[in-house]
Amino acid sequence: MLSHLLKLMWNKRRANVLIFLEILLAFIVLFGVYTFTLYNFDRYRSPLGFSYEHSLGVRLDLNDQLDSAGVVEAHRRIREEVMNLPDVAAVTWLGPVNPFGGNTWQTSNDNYGFLISTQMMFADEHFAETAELSFREGRWFDESDQHAKYPPIVVNAAFRDEYFPDAPTLIDSVLPINGPHRVVGVIGDFKYQSNFAENVPLTFFSHADQDRNEQPFEMLIVRTHPGRMAAVQEPLYRSLVELTKSTDVVIWDMAADRIKANRPVVIPLVIMLIISGFLLINIALGLFGVLFTQINRRRAEIGLRKAMGATPGEITAQFVREVLLVTAAGLLLGTLFAVQVPLLELLPIPPKYFYLGAVAAIATILLIVTVCALLPSRQAARLHPALVLHEE
Amino acid sequence: MIQLNNISKSYRTDTIETLALQHMNLSVPKGEFLSIMGPSGCGKSTLLNIMGLIDEPSEGTVVLAGREVTDYHGSQTARFRNEQLGFIFQSFHLINDLSVIDNVELPLLYRRVGGKERRELAREALAHVGLSNRATHFPNQLSGGQKQRVAIARAIVGKPNIILADEPTGNLDSHMGGEIMDILTRLNEQLGTTIVMVTHDERMAKRTHRLVRLSDGERVS
Repeated sequence: MLSHLLKLMWNKRRANVLIFLEILLAFIVLFGVYTFTLYNFDRYRSPLGFSYEHSLGVRLDLNDQLDSAGVVEAHRRIREEVMNLPDVAAVTWLGPVNPFGGNTWQTSNDNYGFLISTQMMFADEHFAETAELSFREGRWFDESDQHAKYPPIVVNAAFRDEYFPDAPTLIDSVLPINGPHRVVGVIGDFKYQSNFAENVPLTFFSHADQDRNEQPFEMLIVRTHPGRMAAVQEPLYRSLVELTKSTDVVIWDMAADRIKANRPVVIPLVIMLIISGFLLINIALGLFGVLFTQINRRRAEIGLRKAMGATPGEITAQFVREVLLVTAAGLLLGTLFAVQVPLLELLPIPPKYFYLGAVAAIATILLIVTVCALLPSRQAARLHPALVLHEE
Repeated sequence: MIQLNNISKSYRTDTIETLALQHMNLSVPKGEFLSIMGPSGCGKSTLLNIMGLIDEPSEGTVVLAGREVTDYHGSQTARFRNEQLGFIFQSFHLINDLSVIDNVELPLLYRRVGGKERRELAREALAHVGLSNRATHFPNQLSGGQKQRVAIARAIVGKPNIILADEPTGNLDSHMGGEIMDILTRLNEQLGTTIVMVTHDERMAKRTHRLVRLSDGERVS
């Protein structure tokens, strides 16, 4: 029966070319949407690696006339005052790169004979506690590290796994990243750009490095006790205005910042899903239409087949199989195109998402096609041979 | 071979009831070549459809090949048609997207006959109607007479006991019609196939063993 159907469909290929193209197009769109969705869904599910709830971001303007010692003193005094505010649980100073801020800083070198490229963040010794980081090895830097031979750095797991996967430990290693630095800790995940970001190699530099660059830290993260964030904002603002003698103080909710940071992925994703939904409805309606028309044109053939001994089940199965054969041809060609993307590494997404996307697109299309083919096919199976043979 | 007992057939709409056949009794013994004649609308095709189990009588019973088949339904009817009956239609009813040999194989598909055997039987049937050299042609490449010969090959490929032919020469000129009658007569004589043929053509009817005439849904001779 399969060879019979293959012959029949091959001989009717011109009539089926539109269904074929529709399936091919639908597969390509769904493949893209599923791949993008699955990839980002996995990214979203993977932990950020730090705490942002009940936390406020603060940007302020320190006096430009302060020298190094003056900056250190201002940092100490401001932090102390903020910590003394009611409901404040932890406070840390940050350099110009802050979580969900949308800015990045990167450095690279090839001193090891291979390229080490890392993103950079700058923070004081209270960052790990404020952001509630978890460590794979070692610890966060503290005051004592500032007087050591080499300034301290903390790297993330992605850095270690990418560049030193076989090293038994990185602790106390001196790495030439913007000059020699000693590794004091390795943290786990840290996706500071958004929930949808990848864990990329990242290095935290301490206060001392930033002071050397003559760019004092002017950002704070203030973690409050749960449910007390709103109550902290006003006293925090008043206190900072008084301490800096400037009204140039901006306070924001980090949770809201996270949502904003996720938008560049969420919005296109939602638009793509809506378009795909319409596309699927369109395919379903198109298939219904085409199949009803085809079956209408083949009423005599259906009557003949029934007269020759086809059961209603065999008629239904035949029409469903015919559509599935055209669908399989469209899916086969689509899959051949689709697998080129991971094979040729055309996009920076791990191959497994492309394969999962292809499988999901195939399953969706097969399901829709089968459901859409069943109704007209069953109608065909119910045709009365005496009636349709007489029509001809 | 064929026994129709008190067969009536009526078609009902909301407002009207049309009687196509009324209390028809007919017996066709094995190996007979019977023709049915009558004016248009007298119920000839309805009678043939009831014999072929592609229509159901409103009343009466049908016995085919020794089996009471009136209450057969669905797959039971389909299997019986496939194994016992062969159909020939006035308008051939060939599938234009299939080659001649694929058209001939059609009944065997529903009998789960293997591909190789199917091909062999189809070639044999085509040889029987003298169309071996047209096996790979498509129906639209054939003349009317050739198309009807393909339809006959398709009807006999499954070696049925009964062939039901609905005006098989109706769309053909007298020469072609004569050729088709030659083939049907040969089938009847050589293979002993029982044939019931509906026709409008008195000359064709005369070539059969027996003629039954219908008028207004009733048997008149």
